[in-house]
Amino acid sequence: MKMRSLILVLLLHLSSPAEAGELVVVVNAASGAGQLSRDQVINIFLGRFRQFPSGLTAEPIDQPEDGPLRAQFYRLLVDKQMTEINAYWARLIFSGRTSPPLKAKSSDEVLRLLSSRRGGIAYMNKSEVNHLLTIVFTPNHDQ
Amino acid sequence: MKPLPLTFCKRLLLALLVCPLAFPACASESAEPLPSNFTLRGFGTLGATRSSSSQADFVRDLSQPQGSRGQWSGTLDSLLGVQANYRFSQQVEGGLQVVSRYRYDGSFQPEAHLAFLKYDFNPSLSLRAGRIGPEFYMQADSRLIGYSYLPVRPPTDYFSPLPFYHMNGGDFTLTVPAAQGLAKFKVFYGVAGEKVPTAAVGTWDFTGSRIFGGYVDYLQGAWQWRLSYAQLQFSQDLPVNKVRDALRLTGVPSAVAAADALTVTDRRVHYYSAGLVYDKGPLQAQLMLGHTMHESTIFENISAGYGLVGYRISSLTPYLGYSRAKSARKKLTTGLSNEIAPFAAMNAGVVATMNSHVDQSTFFLGARWDIQPNVAFKAQWDRVRGHADSVAFVQGEAAGWDGRTNVLSLTLDFLF
Repeated sequence: MKMRSLILVLLLHLSSPAEAGELVVVVNAASGAGQLSRDQVINIFLGRFRQFPSGLTAEPIDQPEDGPLRAQFYRLLVDKQMTEINAYWARLIFSGRTSPPLKAKSSDEVLRLLSSRRGGIAYMNKSEVNHLLTIVFTPNHDQ
Repeated sequence: MKPLPLTFCKRLLLALLVCPLAFPACASESAEPLPSNFTLRGFGTLGATRSSSSQADFVRDLSQPQGSRGQWSGTLDSLLGVQANYRFSQQVEGGLQVVSRYRYDGSFQPEAHLAFLKYDFNPSLSLRAGRIGPEFYMQADSRLIGYSYLPVRPPTDYFSPLPFYHMNGGDFTLTVPAAQGLAKFKVFYGVAGEKVPTAAVGTWDFTGSRIFGGYVDYLQGAWQWRLSYAQLQFSQDLPVNKVRDALRLTGVPSAVAAADALTVTDRRVHYYSAGLVYDKGPLQAQLMLGHTMHESTIFENISAGYGLVGYRISSLTPYLGYSRAKSARKKLTTGLSNEIAPFAAMNAGVVATMNSHVDQSTFFLGARWDIQPNVAFKAQWDRVRGHADSVAFVQGEAAGWDGRTNVLSLTLDFLF
């Protein structure tokens, strides 16, 4: 009995960092962008319409392909697996229409790319958000 | 007119290849390694298809001279594409795509399917110029990217009469937020440069045919609606001059009129279509309806449609669909009596050239299995049921063709 509750506590702890609550969508604070709706975030990251309500062009940045954040983000945002997101982009890239978000090689690079682009928008763990960034959307809270 | 786009394509190719080599600095102006402006990617399909009927060749679309005829064939779906993109600035991007696939002359000769420059005036307005894929229907410009869709190939009942993949021209896209969703408008114009095989009379060259079209699209949440129209004006005639010349030589007014009705040059074909897509989480569904109207009497007008639904369970997505195509016969009387032997031969010639009837439906069932992040395996069964005179979407039909076949397809779609 004790053992079982211990395992349960351990499991909860293990799963909590990857749990949805931590993930937020942020922009460069200099963009002046306010809160975004789920549809607006989808439009920006899926390349449908990359513009903030202020009129500024949005430049989405993806977390590294092999990291857990990317898959978690798209699952929370559109309930799609990475294979489906790849299939979606294959259609747009190879028909010469839109390019996918910038691909960062590390979470540090995400921060660097965000700081060097006024229209930069990315997702990350809430704990990584610094004073140069503004949280504009929290995927799981919007459901 | 012809050399101009070719030169343009070559220049663009040169610019795309040279720029990243000549200006490695433009990829990373600052000290930190930023993502490169040059990308090289590819897509491909390895496919094996077996159509049970040995009375006609089952083909992917009418750009293929042969297909599966009672035997396994690797030519229908197998292809390879490589694409280079270069981002000159935030607003300007160039793309070049070369595809090797089984084509009209039976070869796998690589062809440039894309060679364009794209300019984004702002996030709403975008212009492309060069060689691009005309979007006759929803997804018509991504038909070769097997990895991007659920079935092994776009339903043949719907896409078969669309053997055009690229044109030299341009398009404008306008995207504006409207109500809760996004409205998108697109217009395109260009000149075709492709050929299709015709069993009886050899290759038919579309080079110089003008393509024009556009669509209105609305996207909201999981729903996407689209209405589109496109037209193609044939620049060159079908090589059936003998039949027409014979009719004209008779001097009989009704026969001369029939010869004119059979002319293709400068006649247009109009494509009307409506599409509806629902895509939410593991569920995706599509419904497309289209009508193809030929001004020339030589081709019948076709109404076609398909529905498709798939549901993902982990890495496996089973799907099923139904498609239907039916054309309406056109009447053409030469006024020449069959009792006179040479006239009877002419009338038979007219009937033979107007042999473009289709009346068939296909039920298809399959599954897509995403083995790895960029590799998908698909297996599909098509049950084609048509009338014996449904011959437009197959090649080389024999007298015994009864319009029925069962097609088994296995494909491995990949990206790199």
